[in-house]
Amino acid sequence: MTSVIETSGLTKTYGPVRALDSLSLSIPRGGVYGVLGPNGAGKSTLFRILLGLIRPTAGEVRVMGQHTGDPAVTRRMGSMIETPRYPPYLTARQALRWLALAHGMGAEAETDRWLDRVGLSEAADRKVRGFSVGMMQRLGVAAALMTRPDLVILDEPTSGMDPPGIQEMRALIRSLADDDGVTIILASHQLLEVQRVCDRVAILNRGKLAAEGKVSDLTASGERLRLAATPLAKVMAVLGERGSVQDDAVMAAVPRAEAPALLRALIEQGVDIDEARWVGADLESVFMTETSSVEGGRP
Amino acid sequence: MMLADAIRAETWRLLQNRTAMFWSVVFVPLISLGLATASFLFIRSKMDGAMQTLPVELKLTASAVDLGQSLVDAAGGLANPGVLAFLLIGAATVFAGDYRWETWRLITARNTRPNLIMGKVGAVKLMTLVGLILLLLASMGADVAKGVIFGRSFTFGFGGEQAQAFGLLALLSYVRVVQFLLLSLLAAMVTRSLLAALFVPLVIGVGQFFLAKLSPLFGWQMGDWATMLLLPGDAFELLKVLIKGGMEAALVPAGAAWRAIAGLALWSFGPFLLALAWFQRQDLSKE
Repeated sequence: MTSVIETSGLTKTYGPVRALDSLSLSIPRGGVYGVLGPNGAGKSTLFRILLGLIRPTAGEVRVMGQHTGDPAVTRRMGSMIETPRYPPYLTARQALRWLALAHGMGAEAETDRWLDRVGLSEAADRKVRGFSVGMMQRLGVAAALMTRPDLVILDEPTSGMDPPGIQEMRALIRSLADDDGVTIILASHQLLEVQRVCDRVAILNRGKLAAEGKVSDLTASGERLRLAATPLAKVMAVLGERGSVQDDAVMAAVPRAEAPALLRALIEQGVDIDEARWVGADLESVFMTETSSVEGGRP
Repeated sequence: MMLADAIRAETWRLLQNRTAMFWSVVFVPLISLGLATASFLFIRSKMDGAMQTLPVELKLTASAVDLGQSLVDAAGGLANPGVLAFLLIGAATVFAGDYRWETWRLITARNTRPNLIMGKVGAVKLMTLVGLILLLLASMGADVAKGVIFGRSFTFGFGGEQAQAFGLLALLSYVRVVQFLLLSLLAAMVTRSLLAALFVPLVIGVGQFFLAKLSPLFGWQMGDWATMLLLPGDAFELLKVLIKGGMEAALVPAGAAWRAIAGLALWSFGPFLLALAWFQRQDLSKE
């Protein structure tokens, strides 16, 4: 698995604040990679460093094998960091035309095709000063993709969008990764969307890497054995800290291999088991677990 | 190629900003032409009454309007404070626009920072060139209006001497305007503020005006190092005198021309290089 991004001991401080704290991360080429974390976790700082907008305080970072800030590399990248803004006197079409000129592109930029692809055809000749947040996001995505990059960084690409817009954006992102072979790195607070669209995720907390891996692996590691049984007190006595009561059942954090022994032990204790089934964790629960486990919690 | 891309994109974006283009490039030529024509019409209306009371032998015979000489005169007057102030609007928009609209992040990823800065400077130079050409045309237009309103004939004396004086004065005025506008570049880079990009050069300009008035108190003489290095406006005026020639030029001390050129160069390249160095290290955390 080749890496498109490698960071090692990456640190960025703003005065006393450590936005990134010795972050070592390897992002594979291809697919959709999610970067998650609460506000202030360091996601935007990481993206800005990758794009050469800011310099790290310490550590190393390589993008497609090269140092960041090298135009030869950044010309192969497209990005949208937070809600993009444009000079308000430009129309959507003019904004893309301006960026195409800035990027040394002519007609090959196919600005109209990209406006159509993000659903902005009808608003192409409207001044961006009247655009909603969602429309600005769409325009930002079009601008990021227009240059046909190998690597795209999208920060909150669905922020401010309505549900159909979110669905369209998800389909567009997946199609770019699956059909066009573009590597997409995105940050989002909409964890359900991330779970649906991403292949792998990294969870950052207070500038550190809290968890990383395939979405399926991370959610599988958080699965619990749901036991509907009576009396619950006896079940909890057997499980100790590995159990928690949820509704009328106990959620047991035990490996699958230990489940038969656990069930035998409970029966021996005189527990009546009505139901025992595995419940997979969603990304949200993994996220909550990982981001609350560091001392101090959310900044 | 990447520098050409930066200049092209900046220029194109500036052209879309009609408000900035109007106030910085179109307004002054338009208003100067309009005011000149209106004032000629007013004078003519007053003259008609006065002329009728004069005996025929005392009526003035008007000389022809020399459009060539009017071009030379206009070239020398291009870098006046009004022109500087209005061109500053466009320059500040170009230099500080990406901070104001938080759009650096859209363009820095695909070009080098020196290219992006030079692209902005290139766009402002083009804007200045267009603005000054329009001013020359407006000045010519005003002289044509004067000739038509007062019923005078036209000549166009533009021989080798006049052409040379015109070329040198136009070039000098252009350099002076660009030098002044580069103060806006430095202010924009350091403060990230459109207002600062607009007002810092004006404050510096006003400060230098008063310093020039006070310079005799410090014992500074015309053309000495202190005057030429601290007051680029004076350096510009001194070079203008030398180009025009005549009695005034004869009073300019020897070597003053080089000191004036050094002063203008210092105030042109100094802000530009400082802005470049500052921008190279700047964290564009927000933009």
